[in-house]
Amino acid sequence: MSGKQFFIDRYAKLGWQFKEIQLTQSIRINQTNAKAKNLPVRLRKLGVDTEKILFLPMGYWIPRSVVSPGATAEYLLGLYSIQEAAAQIPALLFTALGGKMVLDACAAPGGKTTQLADLMNNSGSIIALDINKTRLTAMANHLDRCHISNTAVYNLDARQANTLNLNFDRILLDVPCSGNFTSDDQWFRRRTLADIEQNSKVQKEILSAVVKCLSPNGEMVYSTCSLEPEEDELNMDWAVKNLGLCIQKVDCIGVDGLTEVFGKKLDSQVANCKRIWPDQTQGFFVSKLKKVQAS
Amino acid sequence: MRPYEVFASRFGVRIAFNSELIVEMNQRYYLLNPRLKKIMQADFYYGGLYLGKIGPNGGFFPSFNLLNMLIAIVANKIVINQKAAWLFICGRDVFRSGVVKIMGSKHKGDVTLVLNEFGECLGFGSVMDGLASSEGEVAVRNVLDVGDFLRREKRS
Repeated sequence: MSGKQFFIDRYAKLGWQFKEIQLTQSIRINQTNAKAKNLPVRLRKLGVDTEKILFLPMGYWIPRSVVSPGATAEYLLGLYSIQEAAAQIPALLFTALGGKMVLDACAAPGGKTTQLADLMNNSGSIIALDINKTRLTAMANHLDRCHISNTAVYNLDARQANTLNLNFDRILLDVPCSGNFTSDDQWFRRRTLADIEQNSKVQKEILSAVVKCLSPNGEMVYSTCSLEPEEDELNMDWAVKNLGLCIQKVDCIGVDGLTEVFGKKLDSQVANCKRIWPDQTQGFFVSKLKKVQAS
Repeated sequence: MRPYEVFASRFGVRIAFNSELIVEMNQRYYLLNPRLKKIMQADFYYGGLYLGKIGPNGGFFPSFNLLNMLIAIVANKIVINQKAAWLFICGRDVFRSGVVKIMGSKHKGDVTLVLNEFGECLGFGSVMDGLASSEGEVAVRNVLDVGDFLRREKRS
């Protein structure tokens, strides 16, 4: 079960009419480093046009640029990062990050880690994990470039997060996923339903392991850039039913999470998630979870 | 002295960090905050504020975090114009014509920080004869510049 038409038909059954998407590049200003530097004006002088992304506090579209936004002195000085617009959403869903103990469980290459550190103004601490050591090189460069000082990085599988013997106030779980066609023009050729089911299985294993490290009043944000419900709503339904978690309503772009998927009815809380179908941004899925409090 | 202290001394300044907050891993030095220090485990990959590393030839390569810390305390600095800044981050030397302001030493062989017109540190270099003389000569030889981040990406 694969092929472009197979997936297009699935999306139609989920309520979305497929269309080709041309993404506009986007950046995120690192407010800790770029404070009072009037970055959009500086970039315009270099030939980099910026346009505020209305649904993101520090996000800007780059509709036109005569230089590579990844090669300016301002980028190299850590004043901004190149980050896809929807990928900027998960870190923004946490409440009160300052001074908190945060786990970024599947962190490389580190775009969201540097965003978390920026939102925390380098206070508190972030523990960032990734299973893939080669991706940690890029992550270290990101942290160095952005002058991050509150983060420790380990080459560790998120499924072994409990071996750190730490409890976290906030956990970002941007799990490895199947991705979507907007960032990979071979996506429909490469992906099969079997891959998606395998990813869904790994995601559940990560969820099960990481929830053990969440403080009783802590918050966990789960996100994927997959459009496939097996990696999104179905996993959240499973987490509610098996891990003692509840889903909090989140305020961001997108439509409510699906509560009925291919004829299967899901827990009503799944509607609190947000599904972002590709349009201005790539496809994305976000959910905010907390432990159910014993009454 | 630790390698980053030796490096700072080349600029004629002394830096001192709480040694309990300094950790070394694979010849890379990091400055931890007290909270990270409490929870850090021995097998970390990266931690806190990166200060620099010992290179293959035994020399110390400072991080830009360390260079930024030095801006406020070192005497030797030059400010360069936008065109010179672009060439500098591409790995080129600084010519006298690109230098807007000179602070501190003009003596050949001394080290100096290289700042852009916004006062941001783009790297450092060694002073050449040209800094004190005519416009056509190399004023500062590029030793390290922020374009190194791009070059690292290409290497990895």
